Amino acid sequence: MCQLRSLLLVLVAIFSLVHAISDYHEQLVLRPLQPSLLLASFNFQSNTSWESFEQQNFRYFPRSLGQILQHANTRELHLRFSLGQWDAESWGARPWGGRREGGTGVELWAWVEAETDEDADGRWLTLTNALSGLFCASLNFIDSTRTTKPVMSFQPSGYHTNSTLSNLHLLHGTLPREVVCTENLTPFLKLLPCKGKAGISSLLDGHKLFDASWQSMSLDVTPLCLPGSEECKLQITQTIDMVLDIQRSKRPRDNPIPRPVPSEELKCDTSKPYHSSDVCFPLDTTSQEEDWSLAQIFGHAMKGTCPLATDGIDPVCIHVPHARQVYWSEGAQEHKDKSGYMRCFELAPESDFEMILPRQEISEKAPLEQPLLYAQRSFIGYGQERGGVQAILTNPSPTSAVDFVYMESLPWFMKLYLHTLTAKINGNSEDVIQEMYYRPALDRKRGTQLEVRMFIPANSTVILTYEFEKAILRYTEYPPDANRGFDIASAVITIGNVSIRTTSLLLPLPTPDFSMPYNVIILTSTVMALAFGSIFNLLVRRFVGADEAEKLDIRMLRRKVQAVASRLSRRFMKKTAKQE
Amino acid sequence: MKLSNLLKLPAVLALLASVPTAAEHTSNWAVLVSTSRFWFNYRHLANVLSLYRTVKRLGIPDSQIILMLPDDMACNPRNAFPGTVYSNADRAVDLYGDNIEVDYRGYEVTVENFIRLLTDRVGEEMPRSKRLLTDDRSNILVYMTGHGGNEFLKFQDAEEISAFDLADAFEQMWEKKRYHELLFMIDTCQANTMYSKFYSPNIIATGSSEIDQSSYSHHADNDVGVAVIDRYTYYNLDFLEKEVREPSSKKTLGDLFDSYDEAKIHSHPGIRWDLFAGGEQGGRERLLMDFFGNVQNVEVDSVGNDTELKEDLLLLGKKIAELRARSEAEEAAERNQTSPRPLLENHTTRRVTAAKVEVDENWWGKKAVGAWALAGCSLVWLAASYMES
Repeated sequence: MCQLRSLLLVLVAIFSLVHAISDYHEQLVLRPLQPSLLLASFNFQSNTSWESFEQQNFRYFPRSLGQILQHANTRELHLRFSLGQWDAESWGARPWGGRREGGTGVELWAWVEAETDEDADGRWLTLTNALSGLFCASLNFIDSTRTTKPVMSFQPSGYHTNSTLSNLHLLHGTLPREVVCTENLTPFLKLLPCKGKAGISSLLDGHKLFDASWQSMSLDVTPLCLPGSEECKLQITQTIDMVLDIQRSKRPRDNPIPRPVPSEELKCDTSKPYHSSDVCFPLDTTSQEEDWSLAQIFGHAMKGTCPLATDGIDPVCIHVPHARQVYWSEGAQEHKDKSGYMRCFELAPESDFEMILPRQEISEKAPLEQPLLYAQRSFIGYGQERGGVQAILTNPSPTSAVDFVYMESLPWFMKLYLHTLTAKINGNSEDVIQEMYYRPALDRKRGTQLEVRMFIPANSTVILTYEFEKAILRYTEYPPDANRGFDIASAVITIGNVSIRTTSLLLPLPTPDFSMPYNVIILTSTVMALAFGSIFNLLVRRFVGADEAEKLDIRMLRRKVQAVASRLSRRFMKKTAKQE
Repeated sequence: MKLSNLLKLPAVLALLASVPTAAEHTSNWAVLVSTSRFWFNYRHLANVLSLYRTVKRLGIPDSQIILMLPDDMACNPRNAFPGTVYSNADRAVDLYGDNIEVDYRGYEVTVENFIRLLTDRVGEEMPRSKRLLTDDRSNILVYMTGHGGNEFLKFQDAEEISAFDLADAFEQMWEKKRYHELLFMIDTCQANTMYSKFYSPNIIATGSSEIDQSSYSHHADNDVGVAVIDRYTYYNLDFLEKEVREPSSKKTLGDLFDSYDEAKIHSHPGIRWDLFAGGEQGGRERLLMDFFGNVQNVEVDSVGNDTELKEDLLLLGKKIAELRARSEAEEAAERNQTSPRPLLENHTTRRVTAAKVEVDENWWGKKAVGAWALAGCSLVWLAASYMES
């Protein structure tokens, strides 16, 4: 990783000096990880001069994004779409030092130029809505409750003049619940000069990318200036990093469900004494490197090179020991570097490129870079009312201490008790917190923001804990799938130039029984009907004693009937008499 | 529009002169809505996505399709086929594909957003891709699917839209001249009740099932694990796939509705013609491509002659040149004026940021002072009570 980074730094340096040669650059770095995984890092970078950007003269810079940035007065933009969890213990340090990844879901931060806070908020609203339309993501849900203004964690990575710097507002928002899928990749690819039709971007396929164990898409727009000169340019960098499971990727797309292997295809350890036609001990293949090819991993071979990338940088690199066998298609040229673990390929522009790594028994492995810090975060406590968060931060280095900023942005319904914040180092409560910035939540208006600067000595573990109270939401504030829980954005750990994000958390809030209103309506109606009925009866009926009531008597009834009959007959008799 | 295209106009006009232009539409839009969340409602999203693929195949561009998907099926962890949605167990067509634009997704699919979309009552920051930018010459296909009942349709199992809401929204659209003709299709239980309250003109409505009838799913895919499509949608698609193969198709709505077989659909599909200008006869003759495809008819108010058009163009060109010169002059003047850009004077920027949490160094000292003050008070009280006694 170190070599890779230094190589890239050199490349970037060369770039910023001789940017007149080419304004577009792309590179894919492949790096096998343990066990049987492959990290693929795609990097696309292009520059535009500040004048041509101002005049809306776009060449490699995407017009759709450029106009949004101009409309929202955004000077620097960082957008991340991420899924999955980076397993630092077995995969080592993160690609790009964690700078090109976000927390699970969508993360956006930008420096917006505005004179007042209100203006900045308005432009931020414009920006999030416009980006939601462009990237088919619900970025418009980043409202005031999800927006924070970090103090220590984020610094502008581009160059800003002093006059603009005083008017720049940093706004940061996360959507941990947002899913990342093909509809986000489609607009992402459309921003590239080669649109995923040629070059390394032709390998990007949603079916593989969203099957990855971990993936991150990033987009950064930063202004860059040569020191001491007036000439400035705007740089757009898009990266996609993914960790693919090699065996999983090799499954056919129309039949990805693993099914039992027929007995004749089983690979058995024939040296076992009990091996027979119906007993099979699986052959141990862990000492062998997995065999794979570009077409197997990405679904198809690479379609030539992007003709716009004319800077002479090899577009495909692979980070394996030089002893590892690699076969590649005709027309390409291999360049091995001196470190012994990196080789790059210069491709023929028109023809497809394919690279095959056969199964090979090899003891030498490319070294892994150790991360500066291991971080994990989880919920502690129990019950519907309160809870706690515990973050375990380990400094694995035996010699050097780590100074870092830990940032939490919590939703308003997770009410943090700051006085319960404690940090224990190796089990003892020592003073490791050096500085702390805090902005408490306001119900339904804004979330909690907490930034803690800490210092961990070599080879130690800090356990940071705090408690919180769960708010009860209003009936209409619950989402349709409230019982799933509420996603809490990942904590951001910044160590100078390196950043680490913990996983996001799922907070179960007390949820009402959503059919309850209907039960209430039914019950109330019943009670009202009963009450109405009895009051109505009391008002309208006349109540008499049981002995006072007229008793129903058959003889009485018969007498009455007889009386009526005799009356009728008499009248009839009279009528007949008159007629006579 | 390019100048060359403009110059070709007379030829187009001559063609158009023979066609009665009054009944023409000039754009096609589609609003495709699934209203069900959760994995077991996979088929509702597949219904909508199959319609999306069909209208896209017949020429409606993504910018004129509003697609509402309340849940994520393609990248759902339960999906054994990541990044894909299938509407048939043969898995021949991947509906999610490589190029898809979902306009409203997840929690954004609400009754409020749907009605706001139809009536265009949206905030100024709403991006254009999420708006229905139709006019009185736009034909709209509105397709809805989900779980419903007598005169309502549930959204995400959390809220409902009633037949009255929908009828009023369409009336508002008509009053605001937001459509020319509208085809409303709905696949849900008791679907025909949803269009029973419509009262706005030029709407043809069709639904999958009568009151007290359920709308059934067609078949399940054992590897996906759930039903993949509903019957009514399946047979609609079947017809569209087999009979309407290219945009030049002359199949009519009558042909589509005649293809409905109640024995296959397992419910009684309904059709409502009475709101349409030509009644049943006129409606049946409407081409399917008027709603499922994309047309680019040009309507010109007055048919002028060639020289008049050229004169107009010349005039327009002069006007543009003049405006450009003026704006350039203004810009130059502005630049001259503000070249030494005055920094913001007398302006105090108020920044609301997090406050620094200070740990008080003198904590014990303050405690001691407090304790002494308390002790003093109690001493005074004791002394006073002693003196009194």
